[in-house]
Amino acid sequence: MFGHTLLEIREAQVPLLSAMLLGGCAAKLARVVRVGSMDAGLGPTALFPLRLRRPVAITTCAVEFACGVALIVTAGGLGRGGAATAVRIVTSLLFLVATCALIELRTSHPEAGCGCFGEFSRAPVSGRTLARSAFFAAAALVTIGLPRLRAPHPGADAARLLGIFAIELALIALLSPELGEALTRLGYSEPCELRRMPTVRTLAALRRSSQWRKRAGLISAEVPVDMWRELCWRYVVFPARVGDRAGEIVFAVYLRPHRPLVHSALVDSATGEVLPWPDAPARRRRVPAAKPPESGPEPSGIRRIGASAEAWSVSPTGSLPFSGGRRPIPGASWPGPGSGLGAGSGRIPAGMLSAHSDSDVHVRPAAAEPSAHSSPDDLPFSSDL
Amino acid sequence: MLDVHGDFRCCDRCTGNATAVRASRRRMLKAAVFTAHGESPGPEAERAAEFPVPGKLPRAVTGTVRDVSPHVLVIGNGASETRIALTSEATAWRGAPLEPSGVQPGDQAVVRLHPSRRGVADRIWANVGRVTGVIIERDRDSLLVDEGKTKPRQLVMIPCAASGRIQVRFPNLEPGYLIDVIGVRRPGSLEARIPATSQPAYPVDQMPAPAMVAGRVPAVISGSVTWHEPVEEPPGLLGVSYPALDPGSGCAEDPVRSAAPQFVRMPYLAVGSVLQVRNDCTKSSCTLPVTGCAAIARLFNDRCVTCGTSPRGRVADLTQASFIALGGELERGCFNATITIGR
Repeated sequence: MFGHTLLEIREAQVPLLSAMLLGGCAAKLARVVRVGSMDAGLGPTALFPLRLRRPVAITTCAVEFACGVALIVTAGGLGRGGAATAVRIVTSLLFLVATCALIELRTSHPEAGCGCFGEFSRAPVSGRTLARSAFFAAAALVTIGLPRLRAPHPGADAARLLGIFAIELALIALLSPELGEALTRLGYSEPCELRRMPTVRTLAALRRSSQWRKRAGLISAEVPVDMWRELCWRYVVFPARVGDRAGEIVFAVYLRPHRPLVHSALVDSATGEVLPWPDAPARRRRVPAAKPPESGPEPSGIRRIGASAEAWSVSPTGSLPFSGGRRPIPGASWPGPGSGLGAGSGRIPAGMLSAHSDSDVHVRPAAAEPSAHSSPDDLPFSSDL
Repeated sequence: MLDVHGDFRCCDRCTGNATAVRASRRRMLKAAVFTAHGESPGPEAERAAEFPVPGKLPRAVTGTVRDVSPHVLVIGNGASETRIALTSEATAWRGAPLEPSGVQPGDQAVVRLHPSRRGVADRIWANVGRVTGVIIERDRDSLLVDEGKTKPRQLVMIPCAASGRIQVRFPNLEPGYLIDVIGVRRPGSLEARIPATSQPAYPVDQMPAPAMVAGRVPAVISGSVTWHEPVEEPPGLLGVSYPALDPGSGCAEDPVRSAAPQFVRMPYLAVGSVLQVRNDCTKSSCTLPVTGCAAIARLFNDRCVTCGTSPRGRVADLTQASFIALGGELERGCFNATITIGR
């Protein structure tokens, strides 16, 4: 009975070792993909001169992958005889060398992590790390000379094998400082100011937003003339044309993965003044024609005061409301149209969108805007979501 | 001899006027989008009025020394000339302290004017230079240093007299390690005289992981503030290179070999954002626009010890004019500072 259990324990080491080797290789590759360079290695490569670190890191990764795959391939009928034994001896040597390297690394570079599982293995090499490596070496050694592996019989054999796996995985977890790091990362939410968000995603989110649908009719180019990020917001500027006036529409998009908050403003290209939104934007099929305010239409460009009754009305002649409502931005100078930075500087590509004049449509202006750093969770409205 | 020719290319961030126009325009647009109709434009636009004005902060004059006498220094910049009075209180530096009249015609000088006396020199730095970057090659008595893609490679000569002093602070003068030295500009090279900081123990590809930040990132961050030599910046440009520009727009100043990781977790900003920089040693402060990316500065996790010990990490890399305006001494290399993100 004891001999049978011992054989099962020895057999369980093969898939476990293979999983660890392939997992370690995958974690290292994931780090390389994230950092973009094999040079940024971790662990025992620090023991080598700078010019050798890259080849050493590549070799380590390749050997881990090869051993991981070969352990599985030679576990069954394919690996009868010398091939399986050779693979298991190489794997044992790999872990023995790794253990010695970690001991050396701990002595010469006490601040360096082992790098065994890439990004997760940043903690300095500790006794647990060494014990784990020695444990793997021992596990690899006991697999030498095993007969070919067979699938366990359903029932007691399978349950016993599962138990062995569970106990061994628990032991490995106990010896792995990476587990704490992984759990910490699982529960970690990066502040929006530090969140990486590709510009492509911001543009995609913007084009899905209601603000975009409201303003798209005014935009005269498909590519933004400027785009930048500050803290939790990314600003996207499109050239716009309202009648014969050149303007710019600036969108502020909150940087979160899903349904970001979007604000927008229309600015005169020449003077830098904030302009009121004209009526009748294009592509507003979903927005029903709003009735004029109960108090009757107001002169174009004049904004009614009152949070709930804010609305813009079109002038009876259909002219655009540029005659009033301009608000210069104190303290901010405007480069003017001659700077070549604004809209209308000859950079409008093909595919220009045209605005049609639907003077019956009334557009509500944006509600009171939050400060640039306020969280959307704190905002009193969500109409732009 | 080491080859200083590298992948040197500049970008629109280097040209001061374009940067200034872009910064101004972005501030205006940002204020516009967050300004409710009829409401205050917010702190952003108000802060624009706080940019340093001549006379409020010490002003720096940069140019070539055309003439010098015990009482007058003539600085030329193109066709213009500036006459600056030398008093007994003025001091000078050219690799070491010297008398102001010891400055020689032909020297490239940076003069800090007296804050309260018009046209009077307070301090003069002659041929001052600084190289901050990653060592990429080493010769017997010189180093080739990469300062990022937007700057040419720098050749650093270490004279025997300064070698001991520099190697105490920079023990690993090997490829892959960081260097930051101040010295005297010679044609085609920098003669290192002073270590500007202590060398990090790690090579650039072995940087320690930055700490994970939970909750909101503070708007006020303390650390070390350094200065950099102008490459194509106009003389007198007031601005700051920031270590955490939006990865979406990229950091054009990244080191040649790879994108630089970041030691201090700082909120992402863009060219044109504004920072309030406060010198914790002199208590002077001013608001400066971000004019570039401090790709190399973010590789350092050093402390500045000009007055007390700053928290780890470089939070800004100022232009010479900004550094001087805030009371920094170029030969010291840094000052303890607190930056407030312009929100």
